[in-house]
Amino acid sequence: MNAYLARRVVATVPVLFGVSLLVFSMLALVPGDPVQLMLSEFQTTPEQIARLRSQLHLDEPLPVQFGRFVWNAVRGDLGTSIRTRRPVTTEIADNFPATLQLALAGLLVAGILGVSLGVIAAANQHSWLELGSMLLALIGVSMPSFWLGLLLIFGLSLRLRLLPATGGGDLAHLVLPAITLGLGAAAILARLTRSSMLEVLRQEYVTTARAKGLAEWLVIGRHALKNALIPVVTIFGLQFGQLLAGTFVVETVFARPGLGRLIIDGILNKDFPMVQGVVLVVAVSYVLVNLLVDLMYAVLDPRIRYA
Amino acid sequence: MGRVRGIVRGLPPALVALNLFFTACQSQPPASAPPAATTAAAAAQPAPAPNTTSGQGGSVTIGLDQEPPTLDPEASPSAITFYITSSVGETLLYVDENRQIQPWLAQSYEVSDDARSFTFKLRNDVTFQDGTPFNAAAVKWNLDRVVDPNFKAGSALAQLTGYAGTDVVDEFTARVRFKDPFVPFLIYAGSPYMPMLSPTATQKQADQVNQAPVMSGPYKVDEWVAKDHVTVSRWDGYKRRAPWSDHDGPGYLEKVVWKFIPEAGTRAATVESGETQLATVLTPQDLPRLQSAGLQVVSKPWVGMPFMMFLTTTRPPTDDLNVRQAVEYGIDRDALVSALYQGIGQKAIGPLTAVMLDDASLHSLYPHDTVKAGQLLDQAGWTPGSDGIRNKNGQRLEFSLNAIDYGGGPDQSNELIQGQLRQIGMDVKIKAQARPPWYEDNYHCANNGMELFLRSGELDVLYAAFGSANVGGNFNWSCIKDPEMDSMLDQGRRETDANKRKQVYLQLEQKLMDQATVVPLVDQLSVFALRPNVSGLKFTGNSYPLVTELTVK
Repeated sequence: MNAYLARRVVATVPVLFGVSLLVFSMLALVPGDPVQLMLSEFQTTPEQIARLRSQLHLDEPLPVQFGRFVWNAVRGDLGTSIRTRRPVTTEIADNFPATLQLALAGLLVAGILGVSLGVIAAANQHSWLELGSMLLALIGVSMPSFWLGLLLIFGLSLRLRLLPATGGGDLAHLVLPAITLGLGAAAILARLTRSSMLEVLRQEYVTTARAKGLAEWLVIGRHALKNALIPVVTIFGLQFGQLLAGTFVVETVFARPGLGRLIIDGILNKDFPMVQGVVLVVAVSYVLVNLLVDLMYAVLDPRIRYA
Repeated sequence: MGRVRGIVRGLPPALVALNLFFTACQSQPPASAPPAATTAAAAAQPAPAPNTTSGQGGSVTIGLDQEPPTLDPEASPSAITFYITSSVGETLLYVDENRQIQPWLAQSYEVSDDARSFTFKLRNDVTFQDGTPFNAAAVKWNLDRVVDPNFKAGSALAQLTGYAGTDVVDEFTARVRFKDPFVPFLIYAGSPYMPMLSPTATQKQADQVNQAPVMSGPYKVDEWVAKDHVTVSRWDGYKRRAPWSDHDGPGYLEKVVWKFIPEAGTRAATVESGETQLATVLTPQDLPRLQSAGLQVVSKPWVGMPFMMFLTTTRPPTDDLNVRQAVEYGIDRDALVSALYQGIGQKAIGPLTAVMLDDASLHSLYPHDTVKAGQLLDQAGWTPGSDGIRNKNGQRLEFSLNAIDYGGGPDQSNELIQGQLRQIGMDVKIKAQARPPWYEDNYHCANNGMELFLRSGELDVLYAAFGSANVGGNFNWSCIKDPEMDSMLDQGRRETDANKRKQVYLQLEQKLMDQATVVPLVDQLSVFALRPNVSGLKFTGNSYPLVTELTVK
C-alpha cells in the first residue's frame, strides 16, 4: 500500500512541474510588452514601467525567472495583483472556500442525482422509468450551465420567488448554483452508473444473491452497487476537476464570490499574476484530486492495493 | 471551454473596454461657468429651508456589473470605483449635473492670469471621517500622493498633468501650481477622481486604503466582501449640505449596498424580483421587460467621447482622405442605434458626446449617403469590381477593422459596420483578437480602424485622442500628427474664458470631422432601473450616481 502511495505521489511531481512551466509561460507568450499591457489603463512614465518590470523580475533571463516563480510558489508567494494590489495568495485564500463549497455542493448534487438516476434506470431496464431518467440525463448533459442557471433564476427566483438569485453565504444561496453546476455532471454519472450497474447485475454472484432469496433492494444496494461504483468513482474524481472549472461560469451567473470571478476579472483586466495564480491553484487542485481518486481505488478495490 | 465562451459573450465587450479605459477627465466647463481668470463667484449658496435626514432610514441594494479594483479613488483607473466613492468623498469643487462648477471643500477659487496656478480658499469646518481636520496641508498631501512615482495613481494622474506642486499659503488656503497652463484642472478639481483622503488615516492604513478609504463625505465605507458587495453607511458626522443635496447632513438611507452581479440577465432579474432595488448596465433586451414590470428606467448620457470608430490616417487605404470620408458617409448610425443601442444610446454627433459640446453645425455632418460615398471612392480611383468590391490597380479595397474578442466573438457593431461598408464596395476584414494584441496593434497603427469610447468630463479629452504626443500610446489611434490640431489642443489648455474655450474645441471638432479621423457612432447612456418604491437617484456632472437623496417608500 505504501509503495503504491509513494508511486502515485512521486508521479504527480512531473505533472506539477509541467503545470507550473505552462502557467509561467503565459506571461512570456503574450504578444507585446506585458508590462505595458498591464499598465495600459494607467497613465505611466517609463520609470514606472521599468520599476514594474523589475518588480516582476521580467528583466532577468527566462530560466532565472522560472526558478524564482517556482521557488516563490512553493513558499506560497504568487505575487501581487496588478488590479487590486493585494497579494494573489490572499485573494485566492479569500475566494477558494466559496469555490470549494460550490464545487462540493455541485458534486453532492451530481453524486446523489446521478447515482440514483443510474440505479433507477438499470433496475428498471426497458421501462418508462429508464426512459425518463435517461432523458433527464440527456437534457442535463446538453444544457450549457450558463443557460440552465439563467433558466433557474427566472423560474425559481424571479417567478416563484423561492430562492435568491445571487450572492454567497448561507445554504439558500447555494441551492441554485449547486443544481446548475451539478446537473451536467449528474447526467454523466447517471449514464455511467446505469451501464456499470447493468453489467454487474448480469454477474453470477448477483444471480446467487437473488437465488438466496435476498430482497431486491439488498441485491442492488449491497451487492451490485458497491461493485458498480468503481468506474463511477474514477469519473467522479475527474468530474470534480470539471466542476472546479464549471464554477467559473456558475459563479459569474449567480454573482457568487470565488476563484472563477477572480480569474475572469483577471483575464478582462490583464492581471497576469492573478491569472497565473488562479490557474496554478486550480491545476494543482485538479492534480491532487486525481491523486485522491487513485488512492480511493485502493480502498475500494483491494486488487489495486496489492498490485 | 464552450461554456465560458457563452458567459463571456454576456458581457458587452465594448462596455468592459470602456469602463476600464480612461475615466481620466471630467466635466465640461459650462458656458455659464464662473469666469475662470477672476475670483470665483463660487461663494456658498443660500441654503434652502433646513431639512435634515433625521427620522429617515432603510437601505437599498444596487446591482453593479463589476467589482472595483480598489476603492482608493486616487489609485483607481476604473469607473466602478467612482460609482461608489462619489457619495463617500468630497472634492475641492463640484461639477454639477448641468456641468456648472460649484464650491465644495473649497469655498472659492482663483486662477492666475497665466492659468498656471489655482488658489483655493478652503472651508474651515471640515473633518475627515477619522476625526482629523481637513486643511491646506491635506490638499497638498493628496495631490503630492497622486504624482508620487512610488504610488501607482489611476485616473487621477491625468488630472494633474504638469503638476508642479502645492503651496500651503495658510491653514485654509492652498495654491496648486502647474508647469504649463492647465485650465482643465478646474473641472478636474470638481470631478470624483480626486476626493480628499485623510492623510492621517491613509498613512496608518497602508494597503487597507484600497478596501476602506477614509474621506469626508456623506457616506463612509463599512465593509467590502470580495467578489460580493461593498456596503456604505451614513456618516452622522456629516453636517453640511452636499452641493447637489436638498438637505443638510448625510444621506437619507442608513445603508447602501453595492452588489457585484456580472451577468446582465441575472442583474436584471434581481431588480425585477426585488433582490436588488436598483441595477445598472442593462441590455436593450431587458429594458422593455423591466419597464412593463413597472420599474422606472433612468438614464443619463455619458460624458467624454462617444462610442466611435477611429480611422487610421497613416495606413492605406484610409491614409486617403476621400476613402475616410466615404466611410463616414457609408455608415448608417441610425441603423446602428436601432439595432444595438435601443434605450441605452443615441446617435453621436461628433468626437465629443452631445452633452459635452453640442452645435448645430455638427448635426448635419456626414448623413448616411451611399451615393456620395461612391463618388468619393470613384474620385480616389477605386472602381467597382465584379464581386461588388472596389479595385484600384488590381488591389481590392480592404479595410482592416481591429476588434477585441473576449472569447465570444467581437462586438456586434463590427459586423454591422462590415455589412454597411460592403454596400459602398469596401471589404471590411474584422481582425478579432484578444485585448493585449488589440492594444499592441493600436499602438502600431496596424489597422484601418477600431472602436472604443473614452469617458471624461473635460473637453481636453481630445488631447489624449488626437495629441501628436499620444501616437503609439493611449489613445491617438488615428495616428494623426497635425501641428495645427496640436496648437488648438494647447490653446484649449490655456484659454480661461469658457465661451472662447468652447469655440476652440468646436473648431477642433469640425477639423477632426473634416479630416474624417473618427466616425462618431453612439452617445452611450448610463442606465439605471429602479423599483417603483425607490426615488431620488441623482448624478454628478460626470454621470456617476449619487445615493444621498435615495429614499424607499
